[in-house]
Amino acid sequence: MTAQQELSSNTKDDSVDFSIMKDEFLHALLNGKNKQCTILMQSYLDKKISIQQLYENIFKFALYDVGELWEYNKISVATEHMASAIVETLMNQLYPKIVSNFTEEKTVITSCVKNEMHQIGIRMISDIFEMNGWNALYLGSDTPDHELIRFVKEQKPNVFAISASLSFNIPNVVSLVDEIHKHFPDLLILVGGQAFNHGFENIFKNRKNVIIKSDIKSIELFIKNY
Amino acid sequence: MTKEYLIENAKNLSPVNEAAAKDYENNEDKLVDKMNSIMLAKEDIISIIGVNNIDMMKDNHANHARFMVSVFKDYNADVLVETILWVFRAYRSHGFTTNYWATQINNWMKLINEDLNEETVKEILPYYNFMLVNIPIFVKVSNEKLESSDILH
Repeated sequence: MTAQQELSSNTKDDSVDFSIMKDEFLHALLNGKNKQCTILMQSYLDKKISIQQLYENIFKFALYDVGELWEYNKISVATEHMASAIVETLMNQLYPKIVSNFTEEKTVITSCVKNEMHQIGIRMISDIFEMNGWNALYLGSDTPDHELIRFVKEQKPNVFAISASLSFNIPNVVSLVDEIHKHFPDLLILVGGQAFNHGFENIFKNRKNVIIKSDIKSIELFIKNY
Repeated sequence: MTKEYLIENAKNLSPVNEAAAKDYENNEDKLVDKMNSIMLAKEDIISIIGVNNIDMMKDNHANHARFMVSVFKDYNADVLVETILWVFRAYRSHGFTTNYWATQINNWMKLINEDLNEETVKEILPYYNFMLVNIPIFVKVSNEKLESSDILH
């Protein structure tokens, strides 16, 4: 399923046509129109699009398209990096809306697995936890396993969330999960990212305390039920 | 011949024992260096990988070895096939020819035979055989997605 098809099927029941928004946002993104991207984002928020919907239905799918365009050699690495940088800037602008008025006494560590450079997805997840009052410790891209283990030891989180965008990083996720559980067998680990969109649920079926979460809606549900 | 065919075939590969995986991992950097040297020494390298793709080729060799270490430690057929298809799509879109895959895999096999112990070779060579003999199918399946891509059209 292409990103476009996935987006269409995800938004079928919605009265809002996210695919048009995503396309106009993508166009501005690929042309490096920072200001236009900011204006578009604000216009979506003015239409009462939530941050969760903005992340899931516009930013995420626009960035999936950016990745595919690089994969098919239709844009350069430089353009891909520019697009990512613009989205991160927009997310920084949103931060005042992310900070929650209430605080849960719960901590999540969010990180990309080692060698994974695509950090925006896990940053979105971090923001969702933060919006729900959690103390979210976001570590970004390409974090070495031993550093993650040390950080978990220091911070004693309730949940650890790992992301991988490229399928060749999935084995790194598996080895990290095993390594973490060697030290902290009871720690609940959430695994996600574009790499897991291809149906690799069976990878973790024999491992305890690991859950694959593929989108923001399921993460929010997880948080509410935790 | 479909992706499912590749996955079914990949499922026939036996998990690699721990010692062989470790032997491969211990020699990973050496294998990558040698692979880069062999490929860079080819007079026709540009016709194999395309213009301005030397760095991308080196990245692929490093990523390949790193990925194979993980595959040997914890094998999953779906991940192996999905990853190879992604690599084929991305690299072929950027100008790498079909010949690159055959040349590369043959050279990995040669280096593995030369540099790793006999037991390791026996364990991991079936994976390389799988990749080598299935190159035409990987090309065909990855082509289907490339051709059906309607992104921004």
